[in-house]
Amino acid sequence: MEEMILNETPVRTSRNFHINDIKLKDIMIPENMTSFHNVLIQQDTSDISIDENIDDISCIYGVGSPLMNMPSNKTLKMTINSKSNKEVKVDFSFNPDNLNLMDKIELIANENTNATVILKYEATCNEACFHNLILKVFAHENSNLNVIIINFMNLSSHHFMSIDNELGDYANVNYTIIDLGGKESITNYYSNLVGKASQNHINVIYLGKENELFDLNYIGELRGEKSDIHIEVEGALADHSKKHFKGTIDFKKGAKKAKGNENESCMLLSDTAKSLSLPMLLCSEEDVEGNHSSSAGKIGKSELFYLMSRGFNEKEAMKLMVRAKFNHIIESIKNETLKEEILQKIDERLD
Amino acid sequence: MKKTNLEEINRNIYDIKNKDEYDYKIKKGLTKEIIEEISKQKNDPDWMREFRLKALEVYNHLELPTWGPDLSELNMDEIATYVRPKTKLSTSWDDVPEDIKNTFDQLGIPEAEKASLAGVGAQYDSEVVYHSMKEELIKQGVIYTDMETAIREYPDLVREHFMKCVPVYDHKFVALHGAVWSGGSFVYVPKGVKVDIPLQSYFRLNSPESGQFEHTLIIVDEGASLHFIEGCSAPKYNKVNLHAGCVELYVRDNAYLRYSTIENWSKNMLNLNTKKAIVGRNAKMEWVSGSFGSKISMLYPMSILNGENSKTEFTGISFAGHGQNLDNGFKVVHNAKNTSSVVNAKSISKNGGKCTYRSLVRVNENAINSKSSVSCESLMLDDISISDTIPVNDIRTDEVEFSHEAKIGKISDKAIFYLMSRGLSEEDAKAMIVRGFASSVSKELPVEYAVEMNNLINLELEGSIG
Repeated sequence: MEEMILNETPVRTSRNFHINDIKLKDIMIPENMTSFHNVLIQQDTSDISIDENIDDISCIYGVGSPLMNMPSNKTLKMTINSKSNKEVKVDFSFNPDNLNLMDKIELIANENTNATVILKYEATCNEACFHNLILKVFAHENSNLNVIIINFMNLSSHHFMSIDNELGDYANVNYTIIDLGGKESITNYYSNLVGKASQNHINVIYLGKENELFDLNYIGELRGEKSDIHIEVEGALADHSKKHFKGTIDFKKGAKKAKGNENESCMLLSDTAKSLSLPMLLCSEEDVEGNHSSSAGKIGKSELFYLMSRGFNEKEAMKLMVRAKFNHIIESIKNETLKEEILQKIDERLD
Repeated sequence: MKKTNLEEINRNIYDIKNKDEYDYKIKKGLTKEIIEEISKQKNDPDWMREFRLKALEVYNHLELPTWGPDLSELNMDEIATYVRPKTKLSTSWDDVPEDIKNTFDQLGIPEAEKASLAGVGAQYDSEVVYHSMKEELIKQGVIYTDMETAIREYPDLVREHFMKCVPVYDHKFVALHGAVWSGGSFVYVPKGVKVDIPLQSYFRLNSPESGQFEHTLIIVDEGASLHFIEGCSAPKYNKVNLHAGCVELYVRDNAYLRYSTIENWSKNMLNLNTKKAIVGRNAKMEWVSGSFGSKISMLYPMSILNGENSKTEFTGISFAGHGQNLDNGFKVVHNAKNTSSVVNAKSISKNGGKCTYRSLVRVNENAINSKSSVSCESLMLDDISISDTIPVNDIRTDEVEFSHEAKIGKISDKAIFYLMSRGLSEEDAKAMIVRGFASSVSKELPVEYAVEMNNLINLELEGSIG
């Protein structure tokens, strides 16, 4: 099987650091993509139109050409016209009859609109599934868009996401990505903050177990004056799981008074888990504020001891600590049912 | 606020050019015949001649880096890799030819030797022209000499350590160094000996279209301590010069080494230097680095913490002006229990200069209870410069406390406003803030070198304002 080189960073560093890209060997790209039927769309408004026909969409980066050039078996184009925050939830359920999904989704948030779009990918079977998403977002002037992506794939599955956003003047795009599944979960996220005072806040949770691999490549290019990006990544790794986090905040010339923040924190739950990170700041503009922080370490012994002294066993105490770490991100999700599902999945994964 | 125009440094003393006079200059290029000729000219023992030829083979097999600054203007066919000055090694400045002595005089080396150093080595082009150390250190068994003398007089010690810490296959320019190296210093501090006053080697490249490839090998034996200072400069020529030195440091159990560098190569220099330290049990390795010169610099000192409870610190600053691309940083590998690393890196970019902080922190599986803390700050002095931060953090055990933080920004308008409200001019306020920004590095240097560094910053800032 051919080796695929995926998820390249926008700027390379030494090959010996093993982070410029990811090489995957055992990925079988499905050749015959039959239609994917198990899709449930729930919406509480007619102000968001959904069309299954879509023009071809492309990404500036994306996970890599072998996956970007695949034919899709599900396409959706959502055009948002709602003025108050309306919600659309799309559930993609993988089962033995729907194992492979290559979905292309286009989200267009028109001027002065407000909406929340939830994309949930869940495997309800134990078979190896294949998921490859290309998501293109256009957030026009003064739009406010919340995108929530849930990955509940099983541990035999391959999960890829290429996300590409373009933000107009005063557009505000918030992402919450809950990444809890897949043998590999590979995400390529790119935002072009070209609009004046555009804002992009990204909250990510990942939780690895067994031999899972997360390769997360988040890239934000700030071009607009007073544009603002904030990347917050909270993760925990158990067993032999492994995470590569590559975060790039790139202040382009002209992005005066722009701000970029990037915080990445990894809790190591096992002495065989591995955390590799590359939080990059690239700057070609003087009048900006850029910060990044990255940390890794074990669960705090004293906190664990305190919880155990209050009657929790070690596993319960550990679960509480992990939930506490993720809490501020989960709490930002307004959909209570979804929130409960996420908490339940986190507990299951830590059992 | 009105922007102050910051010109390029008036490099005055550093740009003094002597006539390109030499005793021997090898023809340009890099072939087996040239390497054999260098070996013959240097009267190498057989093992060294074979080592050089093997390194050349490795060089020919390795690729140029696929990352970092563009090195396409480097053409080894245009570089003379060995230039022997028209003098022999002396132990008295009086025996050094007048023009060479004048150069070192103006760089302040003999004066610093009298005032604050325990020993000095001075290299001019490819050979060391002066080496001397205080008598009391000789009595204590300290060895401080040029590398060629060390190969002759301490062959076993040199052979056991030479390019073992930095193997030739590390990267292309280390292989190049292995093939053409010449000059540099050898230091051995015996067990338990504390060298309280620093030793300094100064490297001066005068010859145009040539390279300097000095090799520094320092062994600080168990329980010993040393502060070693390295300085370097060259006058500016139109075509590129190349510096591909190599520094190998062995810090044995319970030992201490501080290695300080003020690098002020001319702005036609490609500085592709390699520095690495292997640190033993309970030992401590400190790096202090000020990087001001060079057209392109790729310099990432590295500490390998092999001994339990070993520690390392890196404190560094880069200052890039017009036409400069300084890609600097630090690498540390934690290989044993209870090791710790602290990194404090700063950079200043102005007038179209580019600074990159590139780093690696690797905490291996066996390095339990290790700690690593990294902080880097970048200051942009105008909107035509570039500042990038590219750190890799590779954590392979859970019993670790690791944190990294970085900031990029400009001088705060509020801070300037405050200082101006206290009576300072805008220019003085900016200069004060930049000096304050750099103070965490300058305060780690001996006072003479802190003064030199502050002068370099002042020259960069004050020579131009107004």
